[in-house]
Amino acid sequence: MTVSTEQDIPASGAAGLAAVAAREATAGRRVRRFSSDLSAVGEPALWAFGGALALGIILVAGFLAMIAWNGFTTFWPKPVEQVELRDGTVLAGVATRGGPYRVGEDVLQRLDDTQRAEIEDNNGIANRTLYQTANFDLYGDDFRWISDFEVAQSTTPPDYWYFERQVWGVFIGRIAGLTIDGESRTLDRALLAREQSAARDRFNQIRRLEQRDIGRINFQIERERLAQRRAVLRHGEDSPEAQAAVAEGQARIAEWQDEFRVLQAQVNELRELDRRYRIQMQEVGGREVDVELSQIVRLFPANDLGIFDKIGIYLSRWWEFVSAEPREANTQGGVLPAIFGTVAMTLLMVVFVAPFGVITALYLREYAKQGRVTSLVRISVNNLAGVPSIVYGVFGLGFFAYTMGGTIDQLFYPENLPNPTFGKGGILWASLTLALLTVPVVIVATEEALAAVPRSMREGSLACGASKWQTIRYVVLPKALPGIMTGLILAMARGAGEVAPLMLVGVVKLAPALPIDGFYPFIHLDRSFMHLGFHIFDVGFQSRNSEAGKPMVFVTTLLLLALIVTMNATAITIRNRLKRKYADGQF
Amino acid sequence: MSDTTTLAQSPDDTAKTSYHYKTGNQGVALDIKDFNLWYGETQALFDTTFPIQKGLVTALIGPSGCGKSTLLRSLNRMNDLVDGLRISGKIEVDGFDIYGKGVDVIALRKRMGMVFQKPNPFAMSIYDNVTYPLRVDGVTKKSILDDTVERCLRSAALWDEAKDRLHDSALGMSGGQQQRLCIARGIASDPEVLLMDEPCSALDPIATAKIENLISQLAGTYTIVIVTHSMTQAARVSHNTGFMYLGRLIEYGATETIFTNPKVPRTNDYVTGRFG
Ligand SMILES: Nc1ncnc2c1ncn2[C@@H]1O[C@H](COP(=O)(O)OP(=O)(O)OP(=O)(O)O)[C@@H](O)[C@H]1O
Ligand SMILES: [Mg+2]
Repeated sequence: MTVSTEQDIPASGAAGLAAVAAREATAGRRVRRFSSDLSAVGEPALWAFGGALALGIILVAGFLAMIAWNGFTTFWPKPVEQVELRDGTVLAGVATRGGPYRVGEDVLQRLDDTQRAEIEDNNGIANRTLYQTANFDLYGDDFRWISDFEVAQSTTPPDYWYFERQVWGVFIGRIAGLTIDGESRTLDRALLAREQSAARDRFNQIRRLEQRDIGRINFQIERERLAQRRAVLRHGEDSPEAQAAVAEGQARIAEWQDEFRVLQAQVNELRELDRRYRIQMQEVGGREVDVELSQIVRLFPANDLGIFDKIGIYLSRWWEFVSAEPREANTQGGVLPAIFGTVAMTLLMVVFVAPFGVITALYLREYAKQGRVTSLVRISVNNLAGVPSIVYGVFGLGFFAYTMGGTIDQLFYPENLPNPTFGKGGILWASLTLALLTVPVVIVATEEALAAVPRSMREGSLACGASKWQTIRYVVLPKALPGIMTGLILAMARGAGEVAPLMLVGVVKLAPALPIDGFYPFIHLDRSFMHLGFHIFDVGFQSRNSEAGKPMVFVTTLLLLALIVTMNATAITIRNRLKRKYADGQF
Repeated sequence: MSDTTTLAQSPDDTAKTSYHYKTGNQGVALDIKDFNLWYGETQALFDTTFPIQKGLVTALIGPSGCGKSTLLRSLNRMNDLVDGLRISGKIEVDGFDIYGKGVDVIALRKRMGMVFQKPNPFAMSIYDNVTYPLRVDGVTKKSILDDTVERCLRSAALWDEAKDRLHDSALGMSGGQQQRLCIARGIASDPEVLLMDEPCSALDPIATAKIENLISQLAGTYTIVIVTHSMTQAARVSHNTGFMYLGRLIEYGATETIFTNPKVPRTNDYVTGRFG
């Protein structure tokens, strides 16, 4: 038995290996290396992949973080600053954002020496802040840039209030007086809060009367008018049927009009009452504005708020955002109609795209003879995904709205002509257009899912004496369902975020009525609608005052993302439940 | 059953060789006559001719790739799914050529159960898997379906393991259980002929023994054609055995004869394990 010490083996081993290497080197052969080549191990490739992944994640996360930060902070109440400038002007506003800028030559000339020296020391750069001075009705502008060197003094007096008005946007100033039921009263916060909320209730009551009750009457009168016209069109102007219908209709219209007058009187009475509750607001320069208390959506002493007050304001602004209609050209108020329109259009799109895409894919994959024609169809379908979406919009407008809608109008709604019913953009045509836009995704995903169903499963079914259709229906489709759902989820995400084609086929800045409401036939597929994506575009880039709309862009984006995530999460949950039901646990 | 010896002898062992197979007392179930089959340009079966006896177990043996599965799949026209398939010759059932004009393939397949080489349960519950052949045939009565499930799962030696999870997904079972499930499914519609392609290749010895038992029990009522790589299995369960090589049926005869006293040297080499 040989016994070797522990040091022996590695020592002699290393020496032996070194000797081999030396011998090979002297023999003029390539030296054998004792560690693998770096590139052979794949380490650099791994670093590159990791780097690329990190970059991608940083970009996406940064983008989301920006949206989330801007979105979540927008509604937080900020203090009102009173800024006294060196030239004696005094202004009050909310600091929104700021940063360094290069001071212009002409401005520099006007400054005194110490200031100029200071700026020149700083390479000609100075800081400035954008103040929301609000009071658009008085100033003709909402925002003003103030450079730091202009400021003499900045304070936050506790008696400044921030008023969000029904019209004309925000007002910033002090409260000069309060008129309750025609009598002037001293300012008392509890009283003000109570009266303001009572005034809002009144305001909403008036709106309800005008929009819902009077709206219903207008709707009925319009229906009667159309019914008369239909009778005239069908039977001829002088026929006894038409004349009977007209007479009957006129009688009913008269009834409606009586009711209308009653409601109108009610509204006038409320208006009269409302005018007796007023508030006088005074801007920093001393000018006063006197409005009905009901015109104030929300008011708070911006510099005199506890943390709970702030949270309350924050939440109430969010609630208004998701539950109310927009005001001030969409830059204020809520987006409920847009949320509603987005969800309704997306769901309608899924209703169209699912059967259309699945049936197409089924035929292509299962029934069509595989050959040049099917390959051509497949390639065309895949390339459809590369067509600019605005082209779909043009097609939707030309084919769906004008051609199909126009035909429908002539056949079914002749009494309304020349006003189009379906012959213009509407939620039906918009969702059909988007269905067309997203159908390639569904077709491709469904085809993949069908192809992934093992051949042995189909054979098993056929061997049981099932027909081809039974095989597809009971074996292939259930197995492919999760894959099909994935396609639908992708299509949904794509469709919900699409804006360009919608602008042509039915999305509007401000829809007078929702596509689903309480009036027969309840679902109005011909109506135009609002959409969050378009809302973002409109508020951010089309409004009179894009600075005021900017925070809304982020909030709306955040909301749209949240909406898409919610819809997708729901669909994914359903898909996973399906998957689990048929879990593959083989072997 | 009696031994019959017919036909001529050929010196070339790739040609049709002496037939001396057992005959049942119910006649011929499937009469294969001069059957040739091409996958595109390659011919996979050459001039195959032999009768499959009703009520008996017929084993098909031979080296991998010799065309056993192809022949078996020809019997219920599963090969129709393959693009570019061509055949010549006939396979007759009760005097009708199953490849003839106007044959209802679905009705034909309903008369034959099939068990595949690899387990292929459907993505549905165990219960639904077994009753599938009945349901596609329009049977909806629950009592019939329930009875069938129990009977077939018992026959396939799966009842004890599956009876408490009948409504769980069949894909959650082990490979061997899945194969027995497929066997249960194959006999659910009471087919006249049962085609089995290496049904026991995924099974352990106990389950294999149970399946062989099942085959022995079913023999007599059903006609069974079984492809197998196990000589001992073929010897244990079958009445007649066909040896195939390179797409040709080399020898077909009573199982004992094929295994103990084959006429063709190549058959002898194969069954004694000298080549494979
Ligand atoms: N769908 C097909 N297309 C083309 N050739 C095929 C097809 N199926 C089988 N073949 C060929 O036909 C020949 C016979 O195949 P088959 O599957 O019948 O062999 P087998 O005897 O069942 O073999 P194994 O014992 O390995 O299952 C093989 O050469 C195979 O390559
Ligand atoms: Mg095989």
